Amino acid sequence: MTAVTGPGLDALASPARETPARPRRRRKVDAFPYLLLAPAALMMVIVNLVPIVQGFRMSMLKLNQYTLSQFMDAPFIGLRNYRGVLLDPTNPVHSGMLGALRNTALYSILVTACSVALGLGVALLLNRDFPGKATARTLLMLPWVVPTYVVGTLWGFMWQRDEGIINHVLVDVLHLMDHKPFWLIGGNTFLAIVIPTVWRAWPVLMLIFLAALQSVPEELYEAARLDGANAWQRFRNITLPSLKPVIVIQVMFQIIDNVYSYNIVAMMFGKGAGYPGEWGDLLMPLLTRQSFSYWRFGEGAAVSFVMMAVMLAFVAVWMKTFRRSMTSEA
Amino acid sequence: MTRPPTSPTLARASRRGDSGRVRAAAAALLLAATCGGAGAVELSMWVMPVTTNAQHDVPDLIAPFLRSHPGITVRVTVLDWESGWNKITAAAASRRGPDLLELGTTWMPAIAAMGGLEPLSAAQLAQVDNGAAYYPQLWKTTQVFGQKAVYGLPWYADVRAAFYRTDVFRQAGVDPAQAFSSWDAFHAALRKINGQVVAGKRVAALAYAGKNDWNVVHNLAPWIWNGGGDVLSADAKHSALNSPQALKAIDFYSSLAVEGLVPSNALEKDSDILEGAWVGGDYGVIFSGPWLMRRIFEAPPGAVVRGNFDVAPYPAGPAGHATFFGGSNLAVFKGSRHKAEAWELVKYLGGKGPQVRLSLVSSMMPARIDAANDPAWTSRHPVYARLTAIAADGHAYPPIPAWGPLETVYTKHLGQLAELSSGIGDKYSVPAMKALIAGTVSEADKVLEEAN
Repeated sequence: MTAVTGPGLDALASPARETPARPRRRRKVDAFPYLLLAPAALMMVIVNLVPIVQGFRMSMLKLNQYTLSQFMDAPFIGLRNYRGVLLDPTNPVHSGMLGALRNTALYSILVTACSVALGLGVALLLNRDFPGKATARTLLMLPWVVPTYVVGTLWGFMWQRDEGIINHVLVDVLHLMDHKPFWLIGGNTFLAIVIPTVWRAWPVLMLIFLAALQSVPEELYEAARLDGANAWQRFRNITLPSLKPVIVIQVMFQIIDNVYSYNIVAMMFGKGAGYPGEWGDLLMPLLTRQSFSYWRFGEGAAVSFVMMAVMLAFVAVWMKTFRRSMTSEA
Repeated sequence: MTRPPTSPTLARASRRGDSGRVRAAAAALLLAATCGGAGAVELSMWVMPVTTNAQHDVPDLIAPFLRSHPGITVRVTVLDWESGWNKITAAAASRRGPDLLELGTTWMPAIAAMGGLEPLSAAQLAQVDNGAAYYPQLWKTTQVFGQKAVYGLPWYADVRAAFYRTDVFRQAGVDPAQAFSSWDAFHAALRKINGQVVAGKRVAALAYAGKNDWNVVHNLAPWIWNGGGDVLSADAKHSALNSPQALKAIDFYSSLAVEGLVPSNALEKDSDILEGAWVGGDYGVIFSGPWLMRRIFEAPPGAVVRGNFDVAPYPAGPAGHATFFGGSNLAVFKGSRHKAEAWELVKYLGGKGPQVRLSLVSSMMPARIDAANDPAWTSRHPVYARLTAIAADGHAYPPIPAWGPLETVYTKHLGQLAELSSGIGDKYSVPAMKALIAGTVSEADKVLEEAN
């Protein structure tokens, strides 16, 4: 390697000998990429930003059955809707909110944990060659193909105590229980909404984890084997760190999805007031029932904004906590 | 819309300065012009699925009207009960919607209070004799509680009754005339028929649905009325579910499930499934409406229910044997640009002949008294004549604009009676039931407070 010498370096080292500065050419901005992005940006504003701003204004209006025809001209009441839904225990929208909050937190954590664990486990099993691998992967994806509202309807029938297939399998076929329990009444309602959600959610996670697994260099495993690492050690020290960016992102998406979960509960219990009972009510069904069905749109918008703020805070904390894990340097 | 031609008669009347006659003649010419020109007016009509094929049956029903009004065509849109409410309220709020529409009797006051419906003029009211032909309970549902304006005409009726299996009653030695004569007699009858094995099938005494059903309030309300209570206070400003009479009725109703006369597995089902199971022979008694006849007629030829059923009024309580009376009304939409033509069609469908014809296709009871007593309806099957008789004791809910939210509050809380009655989790007790009702009343009053 030769040393770099010459007038160029001298010039940098000695400003006194600087050649007269040429007039700086303004960097020309290429507008074409922005033009290409403009339609998408405009659509984002129309589809997302405008409704958000309108929703925020609605949350400060006395917008109910009697003022709906005025819509955005309904009486402005500032933060009264927020105070009502958050602090007033006699407010109809507030009724049952603590129970729904508890259920939503448990539901989101449980569904996310089970879906990620199941997805990862099956992805590990599929990440090897065996006859019929492609067929197995396709078949395992089937639950995810079923729309959530169909899942809710189907499982609503399957959970029936006497006619449902689940009790038939548990009691009549496998003899795991002495008697057929109720799943749609009482505390089991919670499991009746958790299990179908996990059933539908895990296949797509499995597919994502499988794709990530296939990008882990095989040499790492070979080196570890040469060093005498067993399967658990290889999983813990190679697989898990390699998948961490994907897991962190997927857990965040799952939690967001599950906090906003609506379809399965609505389809399973939506033929009456849409109230599954103390142990089955989640925030979104509660919001729909006690805002739209009660015609309290201003208060419903307030709850929506509180939920959005909580979720934004959650995402911010999550991203900050796992920022390094989400990058390849992790 | 075509411009009405100037006529010599109109010109003469105008010269005489007879403004009243001029206006009348102009109105007649306007209607003639709008109705007379081929394809001059297209009415948009929203209906619910009143028959299994409403998209075909409703146009059939209005075909005679179209023949006599060659200038009018009608575009029928069939909504469904789940999404219909949202669509109609959106239309009422935006003033953009159909020319005429069907509304459930409990929906009408809300949409009228939003300013979504055109009230009937004095002349229109005179044309229908101020509703004298209709069941007065249903006529009230075309108004808003405490107001005089009328917003439409009753179209068809939903009347509830006890459908029971005559063979099961016979085998258990129960006289139906006695069984429905009082709550005690009904209770004793259910105990006798519960568990009877008929045609190889063990029959449960009674079926009613739990929380996952839209009929929760309609199922319970007749018991409250018959117990001397009501769902609302007389001024419709407060819930009345916590009156001693209402509580006693709710306790009696719940005790039937607590005692096992309503099997627990019925409480996790909805009315639709239970009605199918009743037709299939699983239950002795079910409270339902005239549409159940359609299911019975559609049952397979060998079905045990065929030839082995009858109807009876609700079991008489201390205050009588009232039943739930609801259904649908027709109204002209406020934003319609063809109100005169829309009213003509509403008036036609509110007539006796079309109501009888609709009832024969839909199995829903006519809303007119003369149509409900027409031999075409009453002689179709003895049950129809009995339903007409039972309708005389029909009660409709007070037509308050806030009924929609209130019914959701009631359905949400009263559906939880099933959780208590099923014996899962907290056991049923009168204090537990009263606590549940107290929560219902508190939330209902808050909803009503906003309305007052």
